[in-house]
Amino acid sequence: MPRPEINEITFVVDGREVVAPAGTMLADAAKLGDVDIPVFCYEPKLGQPVGACRMCLVEVEGIPKLQTACSTPVRDGMVVNTETPRVKAAQESVVEFLLLNHPLDCPVCDKGGECPLQDISYGWGRGTSRTVEPKRHFEKPVELSPLIAIDRERCILCYRCVRFSQEVSEDYQLILHERGADTFVGTFDGHPYVAPFSGNIIELCPVGALTSQAYRFRARPWDIEQSGSVCTLCPGQCNVSYTVRDDRVMRVLSRQNDAVDDGWLCDRGRFAYQSSYVDDRVTEPLLRDGGVLRPVSWERALAEAARLLGKTPAGLGALAGGATSNEEGWLLRRLHADVLGSRDFDSRSGASGPAVSAGLLAALDTPEAQATVPDVEWAHSVLVLDSEPVDDMPILDLRIRKGVRRHGMRLAVATSRPSSLDSIAEQAVRFAPGAGEAFVCALDAAVGGIGDVAGLAAAAGADAAQVEALGRMLREAGEDVVIVWGERLTHGANPDNAARALLKVAGRLSLLDDHAGAGLLQVPSGANGRGLREIGLLPTAGPGYREPAAVGRSAQEIAQATIAGQITGLHLLHVDPVQSFPERGLWEQALHAGAVVAHAQFLTDGLREHANVVFPAEAGAEKEGTVTHPDGRLQRLRPAVARPDGARPTWQVLSQLIAAVGGQATALTSMMVTSEIAEAVPFYAGITHDEIGGFGVRWQEREAAAAFPAGETGPFALEDPRPAASPNGALRLGRFRSVWASPEVAHAPALKFLAPKQRAELNPDDAQERGIRHGQQVTVTATGEDGSAETIAAVAHLRAAAPRGSVFLESGLGAESVDVLDAALVHVNSDPARPA
Amino acid sequence: MPWNPGDDLVAVQRGPEPGGLGGAYRVLGETLRGLKTSFGRVVEGTTTIEYPEQKTPVYPRFRGRHRLHTFEDTGLEKCVGCSLCAAACPADCIRVVAAENDPIDRVSGGERYAAVYEINMSRCIFCGYCEMACPFDAITMGHDYELADYNRSDLIFTKEMLLQEPPVRTPLRAEGE
Ligand code: SF4
Ligand code: SF4
Ligand code: SF4
Ligand code: FES
Repeated sequence: MPRPEINEITFVVDGREVVAPAGTMLADAAKLGDVDIPVFCYEPKLGQPVGACRMCLVEVEGIPKLQTACSTPVRDGMVVNTETPRVKAAQESVVEFLLLNHPLDCPVCDKGGECPLQDISYGWGRGTSRTVEPKRHFEKPVELSPLIAIDRERCILCYRCVRFSQEVSEDYQLILHERGADTFVGTFDGHPYVAPFSGNIIELCPVGALTSQAYRFRARPWDIEQSGSVCTLCPGQCNVSYTVRDDRVMRVLSRQNDAVDDGWLCDRGRFAYQSSYVDDRVTEPLLRDGGVLRPVSWERALAEAARLLGKTPAGLGALAGGATSNEEGWLLRRLHADVLGSRDFDSRSGASGPAVSAGLLAALDTPEAQATVPDVEWAHSVLVLDSEPVDDMPILDLRIRKGVRRHGMRLAVATSRPSSLDSIAEQAVRFAPGAGEAFVCALDAAVGGIGDVAGLAAAAGADAAQVEALGRMLREAGEDVVIVWGERLTHGANPDNAARALLKVAGRLSLLDDHAGAGLLQVPSGANGRGLREIGLLPTAGPGYREPAAVGRSAQEIAQATIAGQITGLHLLHVDPVQSFPERGLWEQALHAGAVVAHAQFLTDGLREHANVVFPAEAGAEKEGTVTHPDGRLQRLRPAVARPDGARPTWQVLSQLIAAVGGQATALTSMMVTSEIAEAVPFYAGITHDEIGGFGVRWQEREAAAAFPAGETGPFALEDPRPAASPNGALRLGRFRSVWASPEVAHAPALKFLAPKQRAELNPDDAQERGIRHGQQVTVTATGEDGSAETIAAVAHLRAAAPRGSVFLESGLGAESVDVLDAALVHVNSDPARPA
Repeated sequence: MPWNPGDDLVAVQRGPEPGGLGGAYRVLGETLRGLKTSFGRVVEGTTTIEYPEQKTPVYPRFRGRHRLHTFEDTGLEKCVGCSLCAAACPADCIRVVAAENDPIDRVSGGERYAAVYEINMSRCIFCGYCEMACPFDAITMGHDYELADYNRSDLIFTKEMLLQEPPVRTPLRAEGE
């Protein structure tokens, strides 16, 4: 449903005439006239008000009874009084009522000092207590989950947490038990409330009933400072505020930016800060000496790195991970392309296969075809294509749910693995793992109504009738269509064909013309995937999507060339390909063969074994620079705390490396690198940190966007897509990466319990044929082309929604990761060594 | 024309000229009056306090070095590490880092206790706001004023120091003294 038109009306509050948008709730509208109406249960982020607490009572002329300002919309000519004796009496009574059962815990309560109940009792309460009766008692504090403690005595039953769980994150776990004064919040059977967004209820609770276990008793509001930045753990790039005490991050809060995160955070973004305070973090330069990495001085490490990178007779390869900022990426590019003369670098996290060509990239990213995050919520229909938002860009999952629930958006999901969005989707179409390209070709035929839908759907392993229905839905739902597509779609063997097919689908739905509210929104595989692409850290594109003079090697080719001896030096910026790329075996060989210079926070498998020089990298809260959101919003990272003693910022290390290999290091500050980028990327022209500000700025909305290069516009002729492998007795291997598979989660003490174990998701019928039961140990075996077999162990996880003939395994788990297997088909057997 | 002072005129009254018999009498008389005061004090006895051998007694409400208190019956610390004293302190000289009580081995009576409690005495202005802020009467201003030291960092009093009885007791003034 497109955004409604908003009319302005005039009403009177406490004698002041105020202009407000029609339909706004009184509690919000009064703020426009600087009148503060106290509220507890009202939180616009949660959707419809519930009117549970009665704190917001006001007098409206013409209505005999007092009204709840949180659920009364303003109308033209309304006259509202918030300070009459009746209202005062009501407010005092409500505060007294809420305090009847509220314990006097303020000195030991984490909320004390930033507690709405304290503030409202102070501002609107009676000031003295008349209660002599005993208060209700609960056991306290109880663990609601390993992340959240609940103190039921303090709860004022505002329903906020329950509404979040039921209506925002839709995990339906929190409920209210019992009735009346006995009511308490909990999960149905008392199981821990573990969900990807559970931490938000800590921030929502207006009293100290829900507190963070990690922040428990760490600081009081007057001991701390808040420092705004951006989370770089996924492409969601939520705006966060770090709570700092004694130069240490104590917690992470959301810094509401409606265009990005809507005021929510996922638990990874909220608790992963802990990983920067663990012992095994790299805090000083390391050099491999006699087979072990030992701490050395900066001078020595820089000289050694410069020797390894600068004097390589053969080629050089560089990879940048998702958390790389634009500045770091730019300096890496300068070092390799301009100073060392290599074109072999790649920034597509976890990609195998070649990169999409510059012209097609530009066509996909053109400002006319760009959908924004809020567009997702207001579209007529949204197609989620080959992406699992809750894992790939968690915060987008909430936005999609919001659109469906509140604005009647129609959702379609097309993925190979069953998606968590299936239950709210109108259409959920499955295709074979890795057959994204074929699927988009089939979709193109279905949307266009021409071509061989049945044949193409068969090639994609999808049901032709479902594809047809999906095409019909997208055509007929309304003109505002947003396609949220995972970068994974273009990680196949023929990405250009997939990109062309996607452009054709978009063209047929008229998403490519300048129509606001519709378009494409990519979910990149790296947190700053878009920024790194735009500064030209790709084998196929230069800064600003310029066609490069020569196409460089892609990540996979870099690995192959290293093994073949054509590349002798590898430069890894915030990435360990052994850990995060699909061909683990290949990368192990490559890292073994080449000299490796890395910048990392943690010594992950590949670096521990093979890196020659490791420079310490900053944690998220220590970083300075800019990143680009998938919808083109440039955002600023600001350091909240100091780096560990002696560590240098990565941009400075790269700059010093440039100088050490004989180049000219031009940047003295991170900001100078930003202006270098603004000069090199035409559509970033003139951008400054000041302009980006606290909430970022979309480059599409600036004048310089006119300088965006014209991409390939077609008409395109599609090649025949490669059909999905036919299972033929085996199972097709699908890979997924859970939101919890990351080194930050593995290192954060609070999150460790979420670190995933390998599991094989398969259809119950497939399992039965193989005699496998749920929860049983199984082995997954892949046979390579040369007949060698690789096996990993997993726990069978039967999912009725999983398509037949496929099995899905997790990547990003180290040695037990699916990345060990390099094949499209696998055999799953119950583990003979460990029978059920 | 000379200036006319009008009503502003001040008449100067002069004393008797020095010299003569009257003069000699006045000098002796004044000297004797002074000596009377001096000898009067001698008769009163000494009031000098032989500090530091002897301590100046203080009034009961004197605000000196702080004390942290424990419950007499259980021996648990009264302080729950709420940091309210730190918030109230205008000199910003209190630092509290709280931690959670282990139910088996409790430190304080509440859910939390002060793992670190420090007062920087070189900054304290002895206003007593901390005492007033404390919801548990855990901190009070003591009577000790001997706080000089050779080293600034020795003036950061830790929880252990504040919990202990001061090494030397400061005498109190008696009622009505
Ligand atoms: S959704 Fe992504 S960007 Fe947002 S807090 Fe979580 S990890 Fe960070
Ligand atoms: S007496 Fe005043 S200045 Fe000294 S610690 Fe207490 S509050 Fe701070
Ligand atoms: S001394 Fe009192 S005010 Fe200060 S932290 Fe302890 S309990 Fe709180
Ligand atoms: S805020 Fe209006 S009833 Fe709770």
